[in-house]
Amino acid sequence: MYNEVRVFVENKPGKMSKVTSLLGKAGIDLLSLDLADDGQFGVFKILTAEPERAKEVLSAANMTVALYKVAVIEIPDEPGVLVKLAEALEAANLNVTDAYGCIIERGRRAVFVVKGDNLEAIEDAARSVGLRPLDSLD
Amino acid sequence: MGFVEDRVGSRYEWMSADELADHQSKALVRSVAQAAKSPWYSQKFAELGIEPADIVSRDDVTKLPFTTKEDLRLSYPMGMLTVDRELVVRMHTSSGTTGRPTAIFHTREDIDCWAELMARCLAMAGATASDVFQNMTGYGLFTGGLGLHYGAERLGMWVIPAGAGNTARQIMLIRDFGVTCIHATPSYAMHVAERMLQEGDDPKNLRLRLAFLGAEPYTEEMRLKLQDIYGFKAFNSYGLSEMNGPGVAFECPEQNGMHIWEDAYLVEVLNPETLQPVGEGEVGELVLTTLRRRAMPIIRYRTRDLTRLITSDCPCGRRHVRLGRMVGRSDDMLIVRGVNVFPSQIEEVLMRHEWLGGNYVIHLTRAEALDQMTVKVEIARDAFDGSMESLRHRRAELHKQLKEQIGFSAQVDVVEPGSLPASEGKAKRVIDER
Repeated sequence: MYNEVRVFVENKPGKMSKVTSLLGKAGIDLLSLDLADDGQFGVFKILTAEPERAKEVLSAANMTVALYKVAVIEIPDEPGVLVKLAEALEAANLNVTDAYGCIIERGRRAVFVVKGDNLEAIEDAARSVGLRPLDSLD
Repeated sequence: MGFVEDRVGSRYEWMSADELADHQSKALVRSVAQAAKSPWYSQKFAELGIEPADIVSRDDVTKLPFTTKEDLRLSYPMGMLTVDRELVVRMHTSSGTTGRPTAIFHTREDIDCWAELMARCLAMAGATASDVFQNMTGYGLFTGGLGLHYGAERLGMWVIPAGAGNTARQIMLIRDFGVTCIHATPSYAMHVAERMLQEGDDPKNLRLRLAFLGAEPYTEEMRLKLQDIYGFKAFNSYGLSEMNGPGVAFECPEQNGMHIWEDAYLVEVLNPETLQPVGEGEVGELVLTTLRRRAMPIIRYRTRDLTRLITSDCPCGRRHVRLGRMVGRSDDMLIVRGVNVFPSQIEEVLMRHEWLGGNYVIHLTRAEALDQMTVKVEIARDAFDGSMESLRHRRAELHKQLKEQIGFSAQVDVVEPGSLPASEGKAKRVIDER
């Protein structure tokens, strides 16, 4: 299991640059930045190798931050892996609420981030097809 | 004169409904005749063609004009004074936000009557001459300090006129003199308790048994919390300087509404728009006429305070009608899509949601000839769990409850902590851009 960094923001201009510049100044690399937009407010979903420190940095700037549990599954660079994972999740009848892919090292290493009601079961399903859930992105 | 001093006041306190009605009619006739001696009311009555002699019973009050805070300002300094200056023994003022204060005058009998009303309040709550009473509010032009002081002395209590502030000395006096009753604002009572707890003292170890709380709005939760911390019984008080100050209405041991002394005040609860009486038990503006004040009677004073009357029989046996908690100020009333809405109604719903911070703003706009209300609320910093779904769910729940409360649909905007004006001081809660 892994912690995604989530930031509550009103939908006002300038929020994205604030988040990215705060993390940039602190030397925290962003692996992925996504905005879930409700129309009235939004939630940034940030994947980084240093979630705890990112939370500290953003909280210190009075932003509203939470760590959010997700499953991060390592995806080797070979064909058909995602299909295997998808089939395993379906076979286990697991509800997935959100998912996205993210390249860690181009051409060598990628991860698939999955959210759902039962993260442990999602990780078990990944293991059953030979994939590795990560608890660190170093 | 008719403005007879009654040291104990019990003949008023235990009047039957018929006796009260009879007394009120006679007292209203006297008050109107007395008011007509002031430059302000004599001119007002003349303009409106009102003959004081036309007022023969309490039902005739509806023939009389209203008096507003603005009237008091316009009549400043002495336009409503009805007696020779040598008969005045005291005045109080309340400061207005517009600069001009309002001044209220008292003869010796008026001060005696006020002390009697106040003593009745304290005795009703259970205080006796054996109690040691520490008065922890400011003295001076503010009516709370002297009002309680005179009432407590009239009752024969041992009075410590501590005044406001100097918390260390307050605690020392309470402890050293075995104080059993205090008068304080709820927030100051909480401050004193917190100071004691910080210093490792348990407020329950004091001898305090009764607290008279007023001069600022507070919730029932705050009362219960204070009762729990101190182990005393806390009583709500209602008063306003125009009606003397404290001593207008007070809770009896039932702690279910405040008996308003109807021998001294004629009570009306009116719709602030139509100025017609509201239905039984409905919320409206409290309108009061003084019945026992000689130096400065005030006719049909629009208090702007919104409350409802509790007309059922009180188990304590007193016939004086009870006021419910103040629900707001009529100045605050908003009319949205033809519906009367008070910010306090909205606040009541918001307070049920622990995921919200205390600050909010009600934003009114008009789109295609229809009023739109947006309630902006701050998420509490700790309440954010990262989930979009739970935020949406909470907002939907709040939206539903607001609709149930005010009868129409308001948009709810969830904003970041600290982005709305702070709740302390005179925060502007309503932005009306219609």
